[in-house]
Amino acid sequence: MRYPVGRTAKFLLGLAFPALLLAAWELASRNGGVNPVFVPPPSAIAVTVANLVVTGRIIGPLLHTVSLLAAGYTIGCTVAIATGVLMGSSRRVFNLLEPLTELLRPIPKVTLLPVLALFLGLGSALEVTLIALSSFFPVLINTVQGVRGVDPTIINVARTFGHSPRAIWWRIMFPAAAPFILAGMRISLGIALVVVVLSEMLSGTGGLGDMVLRAQRSFVAKESYAWVVILAILGLCLTALFSWTERHLAFWSAPQTK
Amino acid sequence: MNPARGQPSPTGILSSGMAGGRVRIEAIAKVFTGIGGHVPAIQSVSLAVEPGEFLAIVGPSGCGKSTLLQIIAGLVQPTDGRVYLGEQDVTGQPAHMVYLFQQYSKSLLPWMNVADNVMFAFRHRVSLSRSAARDRCREYLAMVGLSDFADHYPWQLSGGMQQRVTIARALAAEPKVLLMDEPFSSVDALTRIDLQSLILDLWNERRFTAVLVTHDVDEAVFLADRVAVLSRRPAVLSEVIETGLPRPRRTIETRESPAFLSLRHRLLQHLLARPEESHAVSRGAHC
Repeated sequence: MRYPVGRTAKFLLGLAFPALLLAAWELASRNGGVNPVFVPPPSAIAVTVANLVVTGRIIGPLLHTVSLLAAGYTIGCTVAIATGVLMGSSRRVFNLLEPLTELLRPIPKVTLLPVLALFLGLGSALEVTLIALSSFFPVLINTVQGVRGVDPTIINVARTFGHSPRAIWWRIMFPAAAPFILAGMRISLGIALVVVVLSEMLSGTGGLGDMVLRAQRSFVAKESYAWVVILAILGLCLTALFSWTERHLAFWSAPQTK
Repeated sequence: MNPARGQPSPTGILSSGMAGGRVRIEAIAKVFTGIGGHVPAIQSVSLAVEPGEFLAIVGPSGCGKSTLLQIIAGLVQPTDGRVYLGEQDVTGQPAHMVYLFQQYSKSLLPWMNVADNVMFAFRHRVSLSRSAARDRCREYLAMVGLSDFADHYPWQLSGGMQQRVTIARALAAEPKVLLMDEPFSSVDALTRIDLQSLILDLWNERRFTAVLVTHDVDEAVFLADRVAVLSRRPAVLSEVIETGLPRPRRTIETRESPAFLSLRHRLLQHLLARPEESHAVSRGAHC
C-alpha cells in the first residue's frame, strides 16, 4: 500500500509549484525579463503589503469593503431566504413569483449600476444595493429547492408526534433545508466579493477596489498589486470562515449522502 | 438474540399512560382525485380494534391498506366515514397514537443524535427536567438494546438499528395505539425476524393497541391476534381471521406449528386468488 503520503508532504508538494512560479517572477522582474514598473518583483509587493498594514493605511479601505459586503450580503441573503421559504412552501406564491425571478435572474447585476446610480447616486447606498441584488438569486433558488425537497415522511413523523406547524418549521424545515441554503450562500459570497470590488472601482468612494484603481492611476503598480493581494487574503479568510460555519451547521449532510 | 428489556419504568411515568386504546373505524371510504379522474381506493371499511389487541391488516399491494392506516392516524382525510379513538371522534393528529413509518432512514432527523431523536417524541408534550427526559430516553433505548448509541447520529447506524431507534422513539411517546406501516419490509430477513420478536416483547410488556399493515403473511400471522384481509382496490374488508395461536409466540417454533402453517396457507390462498372479472377493470387503474 502506498497510503502514507503524509498530510505535510502533500501540503508541501502543493506549495512547491506556486513557490516556483513566484521565484521565476522574482528573477524575471529583477533581471529585466519583464518591466518592473508594470510587473514589480513579488518581494517588493510583499514589502508594500507589510507597509500598508504597519502604517495602518489598510484599515480604512478594509473596513469600508467589509462593512459594505456585510450589509449587502446580509440584506440579500435574508430577503432571499424569506422569499424562498414562501415560494417553497406555497404553490400559489411560487406560481406568482417564479416567472419574474426567471426573468430577472440572468441579468448580470453589475449592468444595473449606471441605472441605479441615477437615483441612488454613487456611494454606499448604490454599492450595498448592488451587492444585495447579486447575492439574492443564488440563495433564493437554493432555498426554494431546499424547502421543497424536505421529505414528506419526516414532516408526517413530526405531525404524528403532535408537533405544531410552527415547530415543524423551526425544527424540521429549516434544518433540513439548511445545507441547500448554505450552498446558495456560498455561491453568493463569491459573487458578492466580485461585485463589491467592481462597484467600489466604479463609484470611487473608497474601499479596497477603489484603492487598486487609484494606485494604478498614479502609476504605483506595486501598490496596486499589494491591494490585490490584500483582497485575495480577504477572500480566502471569508471562504475559510464560511466553510467552518457550513461544517458546523450542516455537518450531517455530507456523510449522509455517502 | 433479543436485547435486554428494561425493568418496569423506574421513573413511574409509564404506568399511567400505556394502557391500550380502542380504535374504531366506521365506513371509511377514500377516493383519490387526480389528473386521471377519480380513483376509488377504499370503498367502505369498518373495523374495531380492542384495547391491547394486536391487529394485522394484509392485502394485495396497492389496495389502500397504508392509506387506511394514514386515515386512522389523521394524516389523510377520508372521503367518507369516521375514526374513533376510545369514545372520541378523531380529527387531526390524536394524542396517544403513534405511527411507525416504513422508511426508517427518512423518519429520523439526521441533524439530531439518537437521544435527541427519541426526545423529539415527547419533550414538547410532557414538561420534564432535562435529566428526567434523559432518563426516559435512556430507558427506551435500553428496551431496544441501543443503550450505548445515544450519542450516535442515525447515519452512523445500520438499517436495523435505525429502525430500533424509531421503535424506541415511538414507544417513548407512550402511545395507547401504535400504528405500524410495513415497518420491517426494508430490513434484511434476519433483522426482520429479530425486530418482530422485539415488537412482540414490547407489546407484551406495555399492552398498547397495535395495528400493523403488512404484505407479509407470515409476519401478520406470527404477530397478530386477528388478521384483517382487504380486497383489491377499491378495498373492502373481505375477511377477518382470528389467529388463535398461543402466546407467548416463539420465534422459531410458532412458525413451524401446524396451526401457523394452515393459517398461512389460508391467507396466501385468499390473497393470491386470481381477480374476478369485475376486478379486472379496476386493476387497470391501480398504481
